Amino acid sequence: MDLIRRILITGANGTLGHAMARYFLERDNLCHVFLGVRERRELAEVVVTDFPGRAFLCPLEITSQKAWTEALEGITAQSGLLNVLINNAGYHDDALLASMSLSQWSGVLDSNLNAVFLGCQAAMKPMLQQRWGRIINVASLSALHSPAGQTNYAAAKAGVLGLTRSLAKECARLGITVNAICPGHIEGALPKSWSEEQIKIVKRETPMRRFAKPEEIAAVVFFLASADASYMTGSSIKLDGALV
Amino acid sequence: MNLRAQIKEVMATELMLEVSVDEIGDDSPLFGPNGIGLDSVDALQLVVAIEKHFKLKISDQDKAREILANVDSIAKAIEEAGLV
Repeated sequence: MDLIRRILITGANGTLGHAMARYFLERDNLCHVFLGVRERRELAEVVVTDFPGRAFLCPLEITSQKAWTEALEGITAQSGLLNVLINNAGYHDDALLASMSLSQWSGVLDSNLNAVFLGCQAAMKPMLQQRWGRIINVASLSALHSPAGQTNYAAAKAGVLGLTRSLAKECARLGITVNAICPGHIEGALPKSWSEEQIKIVKRETPMRRFAKPEEIAAVVFFLASADASYMTGSSIKLDGALV
Repeated sequence: MNLRAQIKEVMATELMLEVSVDEIGDDSPLFGPNGIGLDSVDALQLVVAIEKHFKLKISDQDKAREILANVDSIAKAIEEAGLV
């Protein structure tokens, strides 16, 4: 492996993706960060401006196998083989199961689970060539503590944890580690539908009496992506201020 | 070193085999109970190693099964592709 580490973060325009990109770029002068984005890219564009020559936009429709192939080819041509994949993109579309439409179900499954499959498959080739790689899947506390109204999201994120454990076994001999994180509530990424009162209630229910700062989640991802995390694979790390 | 010996060296190094190069016959099955005991993860590594060392791309799964049968079949595929 050469000195430059190439990191692809999907959902890089969101609160957490943005924080992770900055965390890597500020702490590792030798990393190139590729910011996976779709239509919305204002936050990602600021990162590109702030870190010229080290942060790059990477247009990527995560549910398309072809898009993944093209993105990985683009990264290889521009910088070299990918070393770290952070599957961070996803969304939820909550409804009670009784009234959930099939498109609500399958849309969430596509973006939160099928896209992780596609990303891992695409990233494995360059990682295998180097016999080194780090895959970090951003799951959710909903995978472990599934609230009503999130059957689609909870199933998708629980699927991500299963995929992580199974793929870790497949990759254990190949120098590639695969781990997942399960963040709880994150400042700046709370559901838009929550009222001030609801926010207060959830905060009170959290033993730390506060939500995570995006940088606190990014710090764990940074460690999982490092050479120091070489014997850690197949793990799911809960980051929830002891909520569950 | 001839091609078959090179393939065995690559296998031993890249797959970290517990058998020595001398124990791998040209026609010994690589997979299955009567073979040298490679598994599906080894197969994945072997495909990557063959591409890296001999420039032979194996993208078709059925073709891969044929090519990876033994050292001899790998050597023939490399020779037929004109890569030696």
